[in-house]
Amino acid sequence: MQVCILGDQYDIDRAKHGGVDSMSTDDLKKLNKNKKLIKKLARKYSAFVASDSLIKQIPRLLGPGLSKAGKFPTPVSHNDDLTGKINEVKSTIKFQLKKVLCLAVAVGNVGMTQEQLIANIMLAINYLISLLKKGWQNVGSLVIKATMSPPKRLY
Amino acid sequence: MKPSFLHQQALQLQYNPRETQRPPNLGINRGSLAVVQLEFVAWRRCHTRPDQSIKMKRKVAALEKVDADLPALQYRIRRDPKSYAQEFFDQFLAYDAQKQIFLSAPATASSEDVKKFHDLVDMIAHVADCYPDVTGQFAEDLKALITQHHATLHPELREKVVGSLSLLKKKEIIDSTSLLTTLFPILVSTPSKSLRALLFQKILSDLREANSKSINHRLNRTMQTVLHNLVSSDRSSPKAIWAVKLTREMWKRQLWTDAKPVDVMKEACLADNEKVIVGGVRFFLGGDKEREELEDESSDDEAVDLKQVKHQVGINKKSKKREKAYKKAVEKVKRQERKKHQPHPLNFSALHLLHDPQGFAEQLFQKHLQNTKSKLALENKLLVLQLVTRLVGLHKLTVISLYSWFTKYLTPKQANVTSFLASLAQGTHSLVPPDAVEPLIVKIANEFVSEASASEVAAAGINAIREICVRQPLAMSETLLQDLVQYRKSKDKGVMMAAKGLLSLYREVGAELLKKKDRGKDATMGIRSGDIQQLKYGEEEVATGIEGLELLAKWKEEQKKRKRAEREANGELKEGEEKDDDEDSFNESDWEVESVESDDSGGWINVDHSDDEDEKPAAKKAKRDDSEAPDLVDADKENDEEEKEDPAAEAERLVKLATTTILTPADLAKLAELRMEANINKAMGNTNKHQKALAARHTDDGLTAEQIELPAKLRKTTKEERLELARAGKPNRDEHKSTQAIKRSKKDAEGKSTTNKEKARKKNFLMTIGKAKAKNKRSLTETRRVLKGHVERSKRGGRRGNIGM
Repeated sequence: MQVCILGDQYDIDRAKHGGVDSMSTDDLKKLNKNKKLIKKLARKYSAFVASDSLIKQIPRLLGPGLSKAGKFPTPVSHNDDLTGKINEVKSTIKFQLKKVLCLAVAVGNVGMTQEQLIANIMLAINYLISLLKKGWQNVGSLVIKATMSPPKRLY
Repeated sequence: MKPSFLHQQALQLQYNPRETQRPPNLGINRGSLAVVQLEFVAWRRCHTRPDQSIKMKRKVAALEKVDADLPALQYRIRRDPKSYAQEFFDQFLAYDAQKQIFLSAPATASSEDVKKFHDLVDMIAHVADCYPDVTGQFAEDLKALITQHHATLHPELREKVVGSLSLLKKKEIIDSTSLLTTLFPILVSTPSKSLRALLFQKILSDLREANSKSINHRLNRTMQTVLHNLVSSDRSSPKAIWAVKLTREMWKRQLWTDAKPVDVMKEACLADNEKVIVGGVRFFLGGDKEREELEDESSDDEAVDLKQVKHQVGINKKSKKREKAYKKAVEKVKRQERKKHQPHPLNFSALHLLHDPQGFAEQLFQKHLQNTKSKLALENKLLVLQLVTRLVGLHKLTVISLYSWFTKYLTPKQANVTSFLASLAQGTHSLVPPDAVEPLIVKIANEFVSEASASEVAAAGINAIREICVRQPLAMSETLLQDLVQYRKSKDKGVMMAAKGLLSLYREVGAELLKKKDRGKDATMGIRSGDIQQLKYGEEEVATGIEGLELLAKWKEEQKKRKRAEREANGELKEGEEKDDDEDSFNESDWEVESVESDDSGGWINVDHSDDEDEKPAAKKAKRDDSEAPDLVDADKENDEEEKEDPAAEAERLVKLATTTILTPADLAKLAELRMEANINKAMGNTNKHQKALAARHTDDGLTAEQIELPAKLRKTTKEERLELARAGKPNRDEHKSTQAIKRSKKDAEGKSTTNKEKARKKNFLMTIGKAKAKNKRSLTETRRVLKGHVERSKRGGRRGNIGM
């Protein structure tokens, strides 16, 4: 899971120190609002973090590309702990239901233990169910699946 | 175009033996047959050899008799198609001949000919399914006729042809696709209004019928493609309005619910013709509401009062018909019940089904609003603006030039300014850069809100600012906010309420901007403790867990303890059962009982539930009191121990609940209840009607000008308005009558019967005079007897009273 920092000089330095990809305002300007390039950028990373001073410029600099992909950056201030923030972003998932009746969500990766995965799956299911108006009545089926694996139906 | 002679002969040969089997009919049939054949020959002659017209006259006269007999023939054919094949075939030849005349000169046909042809078409269409081999070409002929000559044909004949085509479709001689592809081009191109109305109705009913049993995807797809092509091929033509109308109707009836019709409408919005644009835009703004309303209406309509039906069956004479009606009603009610319990089909609104909202919003904005050459009328422009801002707000789009465009329209003198304000507010969302909106807020404040401006204007201004700030709180500056909040001391109620609304909003979303004394208790405490922090731009609230889960966990813990204590008290606790107690999280009854209960309306469950809970503990307490003391102490000790646990460990345990067990429906119900209990303090506090309405408003719903103007209604009404209001509720009186008389006439109008009193009052005086006179002449004993009888009767309850029975 790759995260990109869109930041001012201070944050870029911090990002380099932590070994995270980063882009400055000039880099963003170079994209020149080119839709394809922005789409590429949005595809390349799974999340973005932007420093406080820069984030208000993002819609002007990049246009609708990032929010269209559902990857509008999360703000980080100079006082915040950058690695902590990145971890926070990494451990956050978005439930988004649009146009279609199914919803997919990432619950873990290969490096996690069985217990962690179970806990994550349980939490995700419980959270989703608690949001639905009629609880379990609103759910048709639940399926888990890993990359290139056959799906396994849970409910 | 005449069928080959050979074929004709073959038919005759085939049916001759049958005719011989029916001696009584033979004469008549032969006769009419001969006439028709002669007529056909005559027609051929008059076209080939016009000199023999004398013979023809006689035959025309003979033919008219048969003409009058067409319905009878149709009836007979329906009963026995095989026997009347020859007659039908002759009529078909006649039709064929008439058609030739028409095709040669459709405009100049005499009214007689038109009538004849009309009747023939009617008859053939009705029985075409009986002779598929003869009438194979019939549908094609009709199609060609109406397609080529719909402009010149006689209106009645035209309607008949259309009707016949749909009849043929009903008989499944032609399919929906071919019918629709014939009719739709005519609908689009014909100049006749009545024909258009007819065609539209026919097309619509055909589409509905095709989708009634199951959705006919293929037909829908072809139709949608046709519509899409119509709209997108020629952007400036007004013909596209029919595509819009048709799509809207199908959408309303929930027959088309996918993305394709939405795409048709999207293209319509981007057209050049004003009517088409407005049609498309109105669809997006109101199509879904229309759909919901229709659904509500239909469910109301079909409601059957079973009680009434049963009652009627009871009082009227029993008959099979009534019994059937009752059975039908019962079935209908059952079906409705079943329907009610079915899960609601998930309908996405048209706005959600758009393929590329960003591109669409940008195009709309550039084409109709930003473009100085667009010649839309102001009201239509406002509609487009509403759609654009709805899209922006709903999908959180970034159309930054939209906000600067608004600047010139935000003055009190602008026509429909409240609509502009409402649009601006609904076009704002949390991802709009605050610096884009801030100048607009400043402008609204400067232009609308001042001591000098009228109170309605100021109220509308503050309301608009409030609505904008609900969606983007960061757009407000500290000084401006503090300035606006001062208006809560205004003497005008509208302004005061608007300013208070703004104040209460910022107490929640940005208390730091307010002066310390304005922040209120909750916000001040929240800021001090660090609970309340204003969200930064781009920041979203991340839910760390399930709301109210800790309450549920605590409740479960308590339940468990209580159970254990109870069992201990009763001396039932065995080691085996302890295990059972621990794995209480998953038992079947939890899943079933609650799922049934939650089908019912929500409010009552909670009450029942809590009653149960209240009763159970009471019962348990009573049991405990009966039991011995030491056990009770034990239980209490446990409780104390639990409470002593430090909060960190507790939090961990709470997370454990969410990550180790699956919440059952029972859990969820309890969770909702607990959540509500926890919020009860908030609910008990200062919530008035207005605030509740605000809370109930869904984010997906748009904002209307009325909502911006709302407080303007709070001003004092004038006398005229009050009079008008008082008058509105009452039925208007045409003449002065007593209330009794009005009631009576109302009853009469409803068809209700009169009372005995009324009958007595209305009875003719001359009819009563004899009895009155006789009364005077009664002797004393007679009077006594009558009085006694009267008293007795009244005791019994009238002449037919049932005392002593």
